[in-house]
Amino acid sequence: MATEDLKTHIEELLNILGDKVTAEELEKEFRRFLEYGVPIEQAKKTLLKKHGVSSNYQDRTLIVDLQPNEKNVHILAEVLSINKKHATVRGKTREIYYGLLRDESGTIPFTAWKDLEIEKGDVIEVTNAYTREWQGNVQLNFGDRVKIEKKEMEIPTSEPKSYKIKDLHPGIGSVELEGVILEVERRNVDVNGEEKTVFSGIIGDETGKTPFTAWYDFNLKKEGRYKIKGGYIKSWRGIPQLVFDENATVEELDVEGSVPTPIRRVPLHILVEDGGAFDVEIEGTVIELQQGSGLINRCPECNRVLINGECKIHGAVEGIEDVRIKCIVDDGTGAASISFNREQTEKLIGKKMEEIKEMSEGEFLDEIRDKILAHPLRIRGNALTDSFGVTFIPREVVIVERNIVDETFKLQEKLEGLQ
Amino acid sequence: MRRETAWRVFAGEYLDSTLEIKGDGAKTPSYVVTPLGAKVNRLFIVGVLTDVENIVEGGDFIRAHLSDPTGVFTIYSGQFQKEVTEKLSTIEVPSFVALVGKIRTYTPEDSGTLYVSIRPETVYEVSAKIRDNWILETAWRTKERIEAFLEATKMNEPNARELEKLGYSRALSQGVIAAINHYPMISVDRYIDMIQDALAYIKPMEEEEGFIETEVEKPKDEGAKDSNEVEEKILEVIRGEEGEDGVSWETIIERCKTKGIKPEVVEEALNSLMDKGLIYEPVLGIIRTT
Ligand SMILES: [Zn+2]
Repeated sequence: MATEDLKTHIEELLNILGDKVTAEELEKEFRRFLEYGVPIEQAKKTLLKKHGVSSNYQDRTLIVDLQPNEKNVHILAEVLSINKKHATVRGKTREIYYGLLRDESGTIPFTAWKDLEIEKGDVIEVTNAYTREWQGNVQLNFGDRVKIEKKEMEIPTSEPKSYKIKDLHPGIGSVELEGVILEVERRNVDVNGEEKTVFSGIIGDETGKTPFTAWYDFNLKKEGRYKIKGGYIKSWRGIPQLVFDENATVEELDVEGSVPTPIRRVPLHILVEDGGAFDVEIEGTVIELQQGSGLINRCPECNRVLINGECKIHGAVEGIEDVRIKCIVDDGTGAASISFNREQTEKLIGKKMEEIKEMSEGEFLDEIRDKILAHPLRIRGNALTDSFGVTFIPREVVIVERNIVDETFKLQEKLEGLQ
Repeated sequence: MRRETAWRVFAGEYLDSTLEIKGDGAKTPSYVVTPLGAKVNRLFIVGVLTDVENIVEGGDFIRAHLSDPTGVFTIYSGQFQKEVTEKLSTIEVPSFVALVGKIRTYTPEDSGTLYVSIRPETVYEVSAKIRDNWILETAWRTKERIEAFLEATKMNEPNARELEKLGYSRALSQGVIAAINHYPMISVDRYIDMIQDALAYIKPMEEEEGFIETEVEKPKDEGAKDSNEVEEKILEVIRGEEGEDGVSWETIIERCKTKGIKPEVVEEALNSLMDKGLIYEPVLGIIRTT
């Protein structure tokens, strides 16, 4: 082992042990362990125990290192938020507690099936929890075997790291972000029976846009440019969202002129891997049409699609006619399911609702096949993850007309560069 | 469960694959990893449907061939994909079709050879323009894989994480590393040539008319003499071995090996012999002369 590395480990041990032992002594003992082939981490643990420090949270995992489907998870974390909701499980209504935890390395959402009697700001040691993948991200679950112990200590906040919006992903613990407020709105929300004021909206930089929520009045103004230090990233169905509260610092920057916030173009594998994205553009081919494309009837009360003239909730009703296309768009790196609404369908097919109604179901499906199946589309919108994978919610769509000859020449040139 | 990506891979690259990562069915799917690291469970292909034939009487198990500029995909469709099977049987050949399908593999016992084909999920007819689009798209994706492969070989210890950091998808990054570990030799030039061959098929609009024919004919013209000779030899082998019950695919491969005929050549010849109606496959993997 390089002397440099050894020194780092010794320093780390000394930080914990304080005056209980000298650096020289510790180094001698440490080297002896290594000579005998004891793994470094085990050596450190043993030394800590020997000098009277319980190894308890020495073998905890850092949140950033948690993977899906781990058992016996042991972490030390601060509760960033905790909420309660009701869920129906096998016909019984139960309370679920969910929220967000952080440690020095990052954040993770959690779910518990019983009241753990913890609140925001508590530092807890969690043992025997387990992880699952949920909407593309790792989630921590507190099952029957979980043990939660409150700790009288603080978890240091790591110095906020500076991020561009395109690089934000759920799990980031301490963020510094510079951007322009594109939209902001004041809302009152109910948090566990208590009314609170939140400020939510959209913030953008030169790499993209992201939704935000501020739990404190920083007097954010539309079109103002700010540096936000000490926020964290939360995920809503895979879409990253910036959250900050009174512990953050917000500085208004004095910058002249407008700031361009372009729409970020992403390959589909990014959406699959990250689990979601806010206001991005994708380009892919419609490889499959799905059931439910075509003319449909919606319930006038709840907008649900009627099946045999009946709404699941409201029974037999006079439906409102609508039309949609449901399909899979795939760019060869990833896939998303997309449902185009009436306006988008009319645009893609080049026919108005009235004309579509004149057609038989078969004719209409043929028309869709003709106009968009196997065609490339460019689509702008949000991406979310559900149990079937990525769903893209389109805001705008166009059929891509490629200049095949130009693109072929371009590619041939690039190939010459490879040889 | 996550939807599997429909990869864009030319037939030439797909058929070069000898690596399969076996899943345990429902939860973890199986993948074919191509030499350039495409980790394929599903494909999207647009090509020329050249022939469709019943393998089982009654027509609920068919074999079809879908040709792209670099080679021919073999498609098997049975009663579990009834709709697709019926659809394939009604499309006139030759015509341009788009197909979404899953990998299908076959390894004759003890042979260690992997035969890759496709089980279709969806099939539909398309225009020549869509076909050109696909060639272009597939060419770009193939070039991307070549670049990912070259990046990996530049690393001291090629690893998927570093590839991901360069912007390649997680699946491709894992595939490239698996390919490097499995394939003894990966010739980048072969695939650059393949892309160039494919691009040569993209024709300016006015030439579109007559070009279905040239394309379908071409592979048959090339080296027709050689392949006839090979087919003769293989027929001899089959006649010598078939007896009452036919002869297994693996035995043919083995016997031909001793005669100096490579397995890939044998497979192509067998397909051709089937097309000509000289042999048939009474049971999957068993060959008989007619
Ligand atoms: Zn209703």
